[in-house]
Amino acid sequence: MLRLKTLAGALAFALILPVTASAVDTGSADFTRYVAIGDSLTAGFMSGGLYQSAQRNSYPILIFRQATAQTAGFEQPIVSDPGIPAGSELRSLSPLIIGPRPGSGVPLNLTLNRSYNNLAVPGADVHDAVATVTDNGGLHDLILRGRGTQLQQAVGQRPTFTTIWIGNNDVLGAALSGRVIEGVTITPVAQFEADLKTLVAAIGATGSKIAMGNVPDVAGIPFVITIPRVVVNPATSQPVLINGQPVPIIGPNGPLGANDRVLLTASTELAKGNGIPVQLGGSGQPLADQYILDANEISTISARVAAYNGIIASVANTAGAALVDANGVFREVASTGINIGGITFTENFLTGGIFSYDGVHPTAFGYAYVANLFIEAINAKFGGEIPLVNLANFMFGTGQAASPSIASANAPELIDLDLGAEIPTLSPAMVKTLFWALDVKTQKPRKPGRRK
Amino acid sequence: MRRRGGIIGKTLAAAGKLSALGAIGLLAAAPIHAAGFGIFEQGTKAMGMAGAFTAQADDPSLLFHNAGGLAFIEERQVSVGTTWFRSTKAELEGANPFPGEGYTAEQKDLSQLLPHIGWLQPVNDTFKLGIGVNAPFGLTTEWEDPDAFAGRFLSTKAALRAVDINPTLGWKVSPTFGIGIGAVARVSDVELRRNVGTLNPFTQRVADVGRLVLESDFSTGYGFNAGLLHKINPSFSWGLSYRSKVKVEYEGEAEVTQISTGNPQLDAAVRAQIPFGKKLPVETEIEFPDMASLGLAFSLTPTLLLETDFNWTGWSSFDSVGIDFVGGAGNSLPDSNIPQQWEDANNYRAGLRWSVSPANQWRFGYVFDESPQPEETVSPLLPDANRNGITVGFGHDGPGLGYDVAVMYLDFEERTRAKSLEDGETFFGTYNTKAVLLGVTLNW
Repeated sequence: MLRLKTLAGALAFALILPVTASAVDTGSADFTRYVAIGDSLTAGFMSGGLYQSAQRNSYPILIFRQATAQTAGFEQPIVSDPGIPAGSELRSLSPLIIGPRPGSGVPLNLTLNRSYNNLAVPGADVHDAVATVTDNGGLHDLILRGRGTQLQQAVGQRPTFTTIWIGNNDVLGAALSGRVIEGVTITPVAQFEADLKTLVAAIGATGSKIAMGNVPDVAGIPFVITIPRVVVNPATSQPVLINGQPVPIIGPNGPLGANDRVLLTASTELAKGNGIPVQLGGSGQPLADQYILDANEISTISARVAAYNGIIASVANTAGAALVDANGVFREVASTGINIGGITFTENFLTGGIFSYDGVHPTAFGYAYVANLFIEAINAKFGGEIPLVNLANFMFGTGQAASPSIASANAPELIDLDLGAEIPTLSPAMVKTLFWALDVKTQKPRKPGRRK
Repeated sequence: MRRRGGIIGKTLAAAGKLSALGAIGLLAAAPIHAAGFGIFEQGTKAMGMAGAFTAQADDPSLLFHNAGGLAFIEERQVSVGTTWFRSTKAELEGANPFPGEGYTAEQKDLSQLLPHIGWLQPVNDTFKLGIGVNAPFGLTTEWEDPDAFAGRFLSTKAALRAVDINPTLGWKVSPTFGIGIGAVARVSDVELRRNVGTLNPFTQRVADVGRLVLESDFSTGYGFNAGLLHKINPSFSWGLSYRSKVKVEYEGEAEVTQISTGNPQLDAAVRAQIPFGKKLPVETEIEFPDMASLGLAFSLTPTLLLETDFNWTGWSSFDSVGIDFVGGAGNSLPDSNIPQQWEDANNYRAGLRWSVSPANQWRFGYVFDESPQPEETVSPLLPDANRNGITVGFGHDGPGLGYDVAVMYLDFEERTRAKSLEDGETFFGTYNTKAVLLGVTLNW
């Protein structure tokens, strides 16, 4: 979902083996030529970066492996670790320090002489999927390689099966930038509908079966919900009380209201004292608009997501596509969590297990869970028995082994991401959420006043 | 299933501790047996006929099977015996999405001796007294290699022990019709163990951060039993028996010991949340189900008797396991509540008694025992299944001393869980269990 501004690279060509058939019962779905269209969520973007150790468990390749019992044949625009841009890591819990892993990745699969199966471009919105060919050296160029739009390259592969999960960036920009600007950070409904119909109709015309995902409410992601809207004492992690009342953070329009949210990117500003009243040791300077998602913006985003999802449901129905209710699942995560074997995964930043260090994109477990949502929807729609992904592989062990980084004298020039900036202080409820294993219902931490 | 303390609870708990002094020597953890955690093997003669004994009820195990039989006792009877439970197989095969295809785990081999004692004494021709000690409920589910068991955050060990002290009065209303009524004091304790896990923010993987052990004191709950036996003629009798619900309220302590994640920062953060190494007061309760049996016994020939029994058990009382931490701030963990949502269940028993001589009997039996547990709550805590059991027994009634022996092979139907309650945990797979029981009872 995050655009890379510049990328220089050369393309070369190599042969690739064709996908072979398998013994998995996929029902009337056929994964002989499977193509994925989407954005960063489909690309396997994680912790602010696009990198091999995350991409190798993107939900499309997990679906491919489960549906075909093959490990090779699904091509992705692999980038060596630590990625383009470099993915972030947690360096310290106390004080909290999150920053990009050192170095940068290089593309490893640029020379593939056909289109990738996973065409998803981080940052792409619906219009990009049908219209954007190049972005002047950004991730579109890395992934599309001048071969046409996502849609064109998908159609060109004569797909037998296509997953389409797009639309997140049509609202995400508003959430990440703290600004709702019609037509700029948020896509007008009519345009969204027209582009989505174009996209799905063109895929449907190839005869490909389709599975689609709808848009989660981005107002519920850790990027938006982690930092409290009141001043917190870093020593105790408790709200500072004056006359028995918590003290709101100061936003561009004065003290924040109950339904306003402070974005994760504000942590650096808060560390400088901005947004905190002078009498509590702050600078008294308000946080800029870009760090705040106010109640009106949140309700605008939520209403827009609902409108998009109505369109997605209708388009999916018309196309005979399987539909994954990602929005509903994210709501479930926010209300009860997901209990796997006695461990409850939640939307909490760092300790919830579902969202990675950027507060927006899933962890490896989160992507595996998404893959299973797609597989369940595909099985239900097309009468197959594609086995679910084994989540144990994403729960235990030491996490992603760092891939050996591939040194290159001609490493592409990169622009770092804002999200990669270090986040020095986050005193709030995060650490409080470390332990909830005893009981899902009673132990799960709640944030007062949060929407379901 | 929850309780909130109070005078009554404390009084009962104190009574439980006193009663436990007398019964503690007899307690043994029992296996999962008789669907749910009921145990039907309370006398070896009845066991030889797979528990189809409600319409016979002619040895001290009548105190469990049908108090109505007490009315017909004509001389003092004393019996002491044991049933040896031995699991021959108790395995889990995992399924996706968790713990995954190819994953297997085993329970520790179960080898337990469970006692039964009965004493019957006629007062006169009309009234008879009896007292029995038996263990009609019990459970042990303990997994091998607990720190590596994929279900360790749900349960690594669950043990429930319960012993009934059961004084009973029999009244021979007519030469062919008898009734009995008794009181039940049930002494019980529970033990639960599991690991505590969290998401390690550094690895984004699950980390074990503690081992939780919860042990209750002995507590006592009270109930009653009643039965009737009608010997219509020498070749046909029928009986009806009922044992009431018994609610036992437990007090105990939980303790969590820390497991290092290898990361000092994370360990410190976890320590700030969990009161490791402290005895945390807990309360819980279990409502043991009531049960009713109807038995019909037919003499097919002078030496062959066939009995068929139908038993109903009110397992819907086992709705959830709630654990309340009552130690207050800094001395407790959040309360937990594990849904069970069991349903009432039936079992069907048939027994054949072949009197090869006046002193010697062969016995054969078959039981189908229906599981009360819905698929959604089958878990490592208590994986139940429908059961089929076959039995063979032999009894010798000598002058002075007699004995009964019996063996039972118990086959649990394969139990697969592939769905969860709404908001319930995902832990899918197939459980396979087999067990052998041996019973020996001596009679005077």
